[in-house]
Amino acid sequence: MPTIVHRPSLLHLLLAFASGGLLTVMVDFNALLASHSSAFHSSWVAHATGSVAGLIFLAILRMGASAAAKGGRPPAPLWAYSAGILGGATVMLTSTAANSALALSGTLALGLAGQVLFSLAADRWGLFGLPRRMPRLTDFGALALIAGGSVLIIFGWG
Amino acid sequence: MTTAILLALLAGVLISLSRQINGRLALSTSALAASFWNHIVGFVALTVVGLALGMLWPEGALSAPWYTYFAGTLGVIFVASGSWLIVRIGATNTAMLVIGGQMVSGVVLDLMRGANDNIPASAVGVAMIIAGMALTQRRRAD
Repeated sequence: MPTIVHRPSLLHLLLAFASGGLLTVMVDFNALLASHSSAFHSSWVAHATGSVAGLIFLAILRMGASAAAKGGRPPAPLWAYSAGILGGATVMLTSTAANSALALSGTLALGLAGQVLFSLAADRWGLFGLPRRMPRLTDFGALALIAGGSVLIIFGWG
Repeated sequence: MTTAILLALLAGVLISLSRQINGRLALSTSALAASFWNHIVGFVALTVVGLALGMLWPEGALSAPWYTYFAGTLGVIFVASGSWLIVRIGATNTAMLVIGGQMVSGVVLDLMRGANDNIPASAVGVAMIIAGMALTQRRRAD
């Protein structure tokens, strides 16, 4: 895999930012459902309805796209289909931690730390067949600002 | 407490790991197909656990507002978007920008509901996140 050094395009950046907004609404809906039932049930329902919605989206796109564009891609290893199991496990870990002395804010902040550290490792070594990317000094500056801002929003002044 | 800290950290690692695995699947199929597989595999796994532990359908499940059942539809778009982006901008950039978007929109949502009890801290936090995003756009000095 080639090492990528260029900065992300503004369009990609805005898309990622907007998807975070989508996630906020999703988490809000999920939490409301969970307050009527349980965290487990709400995650189960989201995976069920998400599967159906995914099928519908795929069917719509397939009607418009030509099959020819798909040729020449390497086949996926079996482990590449395993991410859904991790998603299910994440829900249970998060709800267990949030019910401890950490509370929701502590769970969110530590989850953020876990994501950042593991992402840095994945980029640095190009784990799981993804492109390798060497972080630049400004990347660490950006990371510190975004992580610091997030912690401030989660905990307030402390 | 130590166990809870490790669990919370592990949850973050799993979020990042599953995005990487989905990104790898998207390379061989498509971002939307990867997201579909993510949801159907998760659904099967949760169904097995839920049936074994008898917690699939707790009381009161149907009393929730109808629109909460659309969380999964948003989720499938979100996972497809992450699988598409991680190959293009990397795991760290994707994670940081999604977290930034989540934090800023969370603050906006709380403000609209009048649920924010520390507006100055949130405002500084939002400014730091936007500054961090701007920094990723700086051209290489060398």
